[in-house]
Amino acid sequence: MNPASDQPVAAMKIDEEHCSACSVCSSLCPFEAIRKDPETGNILLEIEKCQTCGICYSSCPAHAIEAIYYDLDSLAGYLEKAKQQYDSDALVVMCKGSAPDFAEVEKLFGISSFVPLSVPCVGRIPGEILLRAISSLGMKKIYMLACDTDYCRYEKGSAVAGRRVAVLNLLLEQLGYGHEVIEFRRNSLKVKVDRNKCIGCGNCAFFCPFDAAKLESGAAEFDLDRCRGCGLCVTLCPALALELEHWEGERLSSSISRLSSEIRKPSILVMRCQWAAFPRPDEELDPGVRVIDLPCAARVDPMHIAEALGNGVDGVLIAACPEDDCRSETGSKESHRLLTGLKKTLAQIGLEERVHFCPVAPRYPQTFYQELRQFKQRIEDELSREAGQ
Amino acid sequence: MIVTSQKPLDEVLDFLSTYRTVLLAGCDGCTQPPRGIREARTLGQILELASRLRGKRLRVSTTTVAKQCDSYLTLTSLEPQSKYVEAILSLACGLGVQTIADVLPDIPVFPSQNTLFMGAEIREAAVLEERCAACGDCILEFTGGICPIARCPKGLLNGPCGGSANGKCEVDPEKDCAWDLIIKRLEKLGRLYVLEEIRPPRNFWQLPRPGRVGE
Repeated sequence: MNPASDQPVAAMKIDEEHCSACSVCSSLCPFEAIRKDPETGNILLEIEKCQTCGICYSSCPAHAIEAIYYDLDSLAGYLEKAKQQYDSDALVVMCKGSAPDFAEVEKLFGISSFVPLSVPCVGRIPGEILLRAISSLGMKKIYMLACDTDYCRYEKGSAVAGRRVAVLNLLLEQLGYGHEVIEFRRNSLKVKVDRNKCIGCGNCAFFCPFDAAKLESGAAEFDLDRCRGCGLCVTLCPALALELEHWEGERLSSSISRLSSEIRKPSILVMRCQWAAFPRPDEELDPGVRVIDLPCAARVDPMHIAEALGNGVDGVLIAACPEDDCRSETGSKESHRLLTGLKKTLAQIGLEERVHFCPVAPRYPQTFYQELRQFKQRIEDELSREAGQ
Repeated sequence: MIVTSQKPLDEVLDFLSTYRTVLLAGCDGCTQPPRGIREARTLGQILELASRLRGKRLRVSTTTVAKQCDSYLTLTSLEPQSKYVEAILSLACGLGVQTIADVLPDIPVFPSQNTLFMGAEIREAAVLEERCAACGDCILEFTGGICPIARCPKGLLNGPCGGSANGKCEVDPEKDCAWDLIIKRLEKLGRLYVLEEIRPPRNFWQLPRPGRVGE
């Protein structure tokens, strides 16, 4: 991938030469983005419908799908480097949607060191890479952390990964690697309510895209089976009575204050929906840019943006999914509305341009980097304009 | 609930300009949009930043009160914290500001909000709309539960006026004509006959200002 190129490059492509038109991909695609042309029999991928989950990539028996993110080569390359860096023979493959802190991963699996591989959806990890980790990299144990099946942002990703692991475990056992070499767990990060702080305003109940919240005896109550962990209710709670596991307000505040002090000036903080842009596993950013990945743009909190600006960050870029792609129904739209309100307030003190909301989708990998480049330029222009005043 | 709007930041910064430490007090009562602890922390950050841009150093601590219009709750929650600051900035309506002025006579208090009206929160349309004028002489029983005092710019008791067109008001064609709504609703309920009686002018002495009720 060449982030400098302005030609739109699609993240997924079918290699017609290798495709045997077996239709495994089209039967697994959760978004009806792949279909068989009834006339030619060819498999067609409609990139505008594609959500870049990579389930097709990991399932294609003919290696006929080209993926820009987390393809076999880049995963293998990353694992080789990471094995050295983390010096462990345990690999933890985790979905960003359900992966808590590394310390919590240690607790969850009862391990003290591991090589982390964090990806958007474990359903995109081909079985081959797990086998390769064991056979060529000498991994003794693999742990896979997926979301609960009904929490999976890509609908079928967690289920596909679970089936894949079951098959691989059988194979590995027959090959003499032992029983359950790959340990598979499911975990979901959901809302927590402090009913003592709740003021019964009903914002959570009204705005929850999944009907998970209601008012019970004047205070918020959640049906956690329905909660999909987008964090919209948390961002809209006027009383700070709600928290989202792993993305608690105080945890985000301390990340913001730590990152604010380490970003080189002119400094950009990116608050990014983790489904809107997929970084490489070992991505190193410009020293003037730091990123906080969030479960949805809905968890981008105007209060945190104000904090970042207060801590001296020069610009905050919010990367959200386009409304139609939002994995939390109204998350991206509501986020845009809240940030428009914040910008109006900031306009009064001449800082309107310091915050920018951009919809980006991983299906065109370069768009996020283009937006970042343009925003950085704009911030530099703003700063030199202010310095000249 | 009481609807407020944020005062221009420049105005707030001007009246705070002589202070270095301010307590920004939210209200968890009825203010809309919500002016609780989240709003306090967000505005607090912005005010600190804005003062820095003016070359000043302002330290804003934040808190919230269950109901700022309640003297007891306001005194008990703000008094201990007020000792550490030079002034209080209230996120509540005019009642909250005045309650603070009343119960904490030794510290200056300022409004961060303009208090607009008593409004209904129409969630689906995302609007707050004035629907009760607190006139002290309720006539909703004659008007199908729709108040022409608050919702008709002319406050007509016998409407609509000649300016009602296609259900909209001549004063602001974006707004519904209250009397059009009243007639349609009464018609639907089969109660249009209640409008046959011409209503005499209201007695404006019903509730002389300032209103006061013993509890």
